[in-house]
Amino acid sequence: MEYFLQQLINGLTLGSVYGLIAIGYTMVYGIIGMINFAHGDIFMVGAFVALIAFILFALTSISLPIVLILVLLIAMVFTACYGWTVEKLAYKPLRKSFRLAPLISALGMSIVLQNYVQAAQGARIKTLQPVIQGGFNFFKDSNFVVTLSYLQIFIILVTITLMTIFTLLITRTALGRAQRACEQDRTMTALMGINVDRTISMTFIIGSSLAAVAGMMFVMYYGVIDFYIGFLAGIKAFTAAVLGGIGSIPGAMLGGLLIGLIETFWSGYISIEYKDIAAFTTLVVVLIFFPTGFLGKPDIEKV
Amino acid sequence: MGKDLIQKYLKDSLFTGIVALALFGPIVGLRTVAKNEALVVQPKWFVVFLIVVACAAGRFLINIYQFRKEQRRGEQSSFGKAVSHFLDEKGAQIAIGAIVFSVIFPFMPFADRYWMDIAIMMMTYIMLGWGLNIVIGLAGLLDLGYVAFYAVGAYSYALFAIHFGWSFWICLPIAGVFAAMFGVLLGFPVLRLRGDYLAIVTLAFGEMVRILLLNWYELTKGPDGLTGIPRPSFFGLPFKRYPDEGVETFHTFFGLEYSSMQRIIFLYYLILVLALITNFFTIKIRRLPVGRAWEALREDEIACKSLGVNPRNTKLTAFAIGAMFAGFAGSFFATRQAFISPESFTFIESAIIVAIVVLGGMGSQTGVVLSTVFLIGLIEVFRDFESYRMVAFGGAMVLIMVFRPRGILAKRKPTITMGKHG
Amino acid sequence: MSSALLDVENLTMRFGGLIAIDDLTFSAKKDHITSIIGPNGAGKTTVFNCLTGFYKASEGSMYLNKDNKKLNLGKFSDFKVAQKAGVARTFQNIRLFPQMSVLENMMVAQHNKLMKASGFTILGLVNSPSFLKKEKEAIEISKYWLNIIGLTNRADDNAGDLPYGDQRKLEIVRAMCIEPNLLCLDEPAAGLNAKESAELNKLLKFIKNDKKTGILLIEHDMSVVMGISDHVVVLNYGKKIFQGTAKETKNSPEVIEAYLGTDE
Repeated sequence: MEYFLQQLINGLTLGSVYGLIAIGYTMVYGIIGMINFAHGDIFMVGAFVALIAFILFALTSISLPIVLILVLLIAMVFTACYGWTVEKLAYKPLRKSFRLAPLISALGMSIVLQNYVQAAQGARIKTLQPVIQGGFNFFKDSNFVVTLSYLQIFIILVTITLMTIFTLLITRTALGRAQRACEQDRTMTALMGINVDRTISMTFIIGSSLAAVAGMMFVMYYGVIDFYIGFLAGIKAFTAAVLGGIGSIPGAMLGGLLIGLIETFWSGYISIEYKDIAAFTTLVVVLIFFPTGFLGKPDIEKV
Repeated sequence: MGKDLIQKYLKDSLFTGIVALALFGPIVGLRTVAKNEALVVQPKWFVVFLIVVACAAGRFLINIYQFRKEQRRGEQSSFGKAVSHFLDEKGAQIAIGAIVFSVIFPFMPFADRYWMDIAIMMMTYIMLGWGLNIVIGLAGLLDLGYVAFYAVGAYSYALFAIHFGWSFWICLPIAGVFAAMFGVLLGFPVLRLRGDYLAIVTLAFGEMVRILLLNWYELTKGPDGLTGIPRPSFFGLPFKRYPDEGVETFHTFFGLEYSSMQRIIFLYYLILVLALITNFFTIKIRRLPVGRAWEALREDEIACKSLGVNPRNTKLTAFAIGAMFAGFAGSFFATRQAFISPESFTFIESAIIVAIVVLGGMGSQTGVVLSTVFLIGLIEVFRDFESYRMVAFGGAMVLIMVFRPRGILAKRKPTITMGKHG
Repeated sequence: MSSALLDVENLTMRFGGLIAIDDLTFSAKKDHITSIIGPNGAGKTTVFNCLTGFYKASEGSMYLNKDNKKLNLGKFSDFKVAQKAGVARTFQNIRLFPQMSVLENMMVAQHNKLMKASGFTILGLVNSPSFLKKEKEAIEISKYWLNIIGLTNRADDNAGDLPYGDQRKLEIVRAMCIEPNLLCLDEPAAGLNAKESAELNKLLKFIKNDKKTGILLIEHDMSVVMGISDHVVVLNYGKKIFQGTAKETKNSPEVIEAYLGTDE
């Protein structure tokens, strides 16, 4: 029972991280109909930026809460630049091209980002000293003590806050409306006087910012990162987006939580070596039986 | 060019510079280095400065170039057009020339061990490219996990050769059949998925195979890999310097001095023949109904269905045949290396082969050769530059897609003409 | 046993709360050209999609009477409708294979019989004479149809390079290559000028009379509908509001009010 609870807590924490990345996938797919293969590597860049920021702030004597906020903002801003640039360089020129072209371009960008970070930062893994320590302990007298760390609470709270701000953004603001319009009919939206390019750029910026937050959480939670984490996290987050229904933002977060739980429970109860296979298998199984995900909008091609 | 325009371009360059600073400042400018168990930050501001200036200047030059291009509207990328026209016209002659060259290659004066190894590697990629060309180029199915079939071919060959001692010529077809069966197994549930989804699922499959190979120690010896894979023989004559008692070797049979190059040259011709078989098979099958159906499916699946074409079986056939050729290539790889491990079968291999096919021009056999030479050449020439060469590789993928999305050789010739029969 | 080629009974198609087709019953005879007309959104293309296996009907049945056998079209999935039931169709937004040549388009249509002849590719790989013979026949069939629509000299051009009117005609004769019992044409006259429409009428009459193929037609162009239809079914909001001969339809008050309008 206690072990189960611990896995649950861990799974939800991990799931929040995946969910934040998954939102980026689902938003981009919704608005320009392509899978942004490089999105996972944007998450990786966010982790590195956060890592560097933490190291620099450790040399100062700024208090922890302020450091956290600053690192959050710094990671978001700089990573958003990456997302914006990738879109402008590799996707925008191919908007009218055939289906495979932006996919290949995205693949190329992914390779570029991974190796660029490897070249700039070195191939070795990077470690970060724990930033937030301690937590609550439950069931102290039983065989297995359940820990809910402050860090885990922090991650979940940040995720909830961002989701709230973000959902308000999508449903209440003009930008959100413009985004939803672009998802439906890009040409018509442009004819209505909305700057489609800017809307698409904003989508990438927001998606990348969220991925940056995920990166920051990741580096704090695991304490170890390298240039390759984007690849794995990317596939899992994409699985999450598909699970929740590609195009649905709450679906993406739900899918993320689900994948986090699946991965954690699998590691906890079955085997750690094959935990990545658990995520991949989920992806395959979901797509076979639910080609449009659990909460997704069906994709009917007009005949 | 007026002063206003120059001012606009300068502002543009300034903006580019600022973005470049944001991009390269943290990641390049603040390198984390391990010192005594902890990480410290090593500033590299000069490098960042150079990069930012280069970006700003580059942007300025690009703006000017585009302005000039606008002015000379008539000539549209005349260079590009001339090159593709040349390639289209002389396509057949180039192909024959390339085949002749590759046949006499080992006897050229500069063909030493180093160059032969590169040639063998290129030929292997060309074969893989031709195999994947069937799946992506002809049938339009985006398979990002092709390396899985390569791995199945290599491992099944190795296991049969090591445990049963069968010869190369028996194990090769078996490995191909295995890989094809794998292709059907993998393809059956997922081939009806739409382009992007199929891509991600096949990517996941590729990774699953790699993880299985890495962890299933009893069968595959995991990360240690399989060693002692029998080396190839010349139809029964081994390539040994010191033969066993009473056994004829290649060099004694032909009355030659022993040279380690003999085995290498044999391997080269082996992969050349395998690749050419793949090529001729593809050219032939394009003219048959199933090949035509692949291309039609790629163009418009709904129209195909309205004509009674069975999409699932047609796609499965492409997938299985592509997998089979990857299996053959994998067998060759296993016997050439005499040692295989999961490290050789990572996602980046799938990505390279996909890049080869798409950059070459979907469906174009000659295009595959050209893009292989270019891309693998790029990777080899810059081998000393490690990660930078992969940045260049990825960058090449993006650039070619942006400027020439249809690939190097994009023009398609019909596989059957009325002119011949009319 | 009905004398009709196609019997549609109580066909209903629902998309969530929207009823696209409401209890539709009509028949199409083998030696008739039957037109389905009505305002946009009346459900005409939806009927085609149900008939040809692209949608699964919510209720009702569709039977094709072929060689004294009654085939339930609802049981066939998309490509099987063409392959087994012999129902061919064209599309509102022409679906040719644009990067393949005109001849290749025609050859794809003859895929199934050529696949059998090629021994599922094995015989084809070894250039077996029986396959080559069948292939020659297929080319002759293609030539025959291309002659009728005057495109023989463009057989090796890409289908996407043809002018619009020729593309429409090509799509129709390509569909004929599967030797269908029933040919469903979705707005074949859309975008054609008067001369091209007249040629279309001629082609369709030829198909009806010489090829003994039943034709089901969705059209807005009244010159085509009135010129060649033996039978007209009028839909409005998914319901059948009239059926009869072309002349009867033109004079029916319900049809005039819902769709045709009067000459002002």
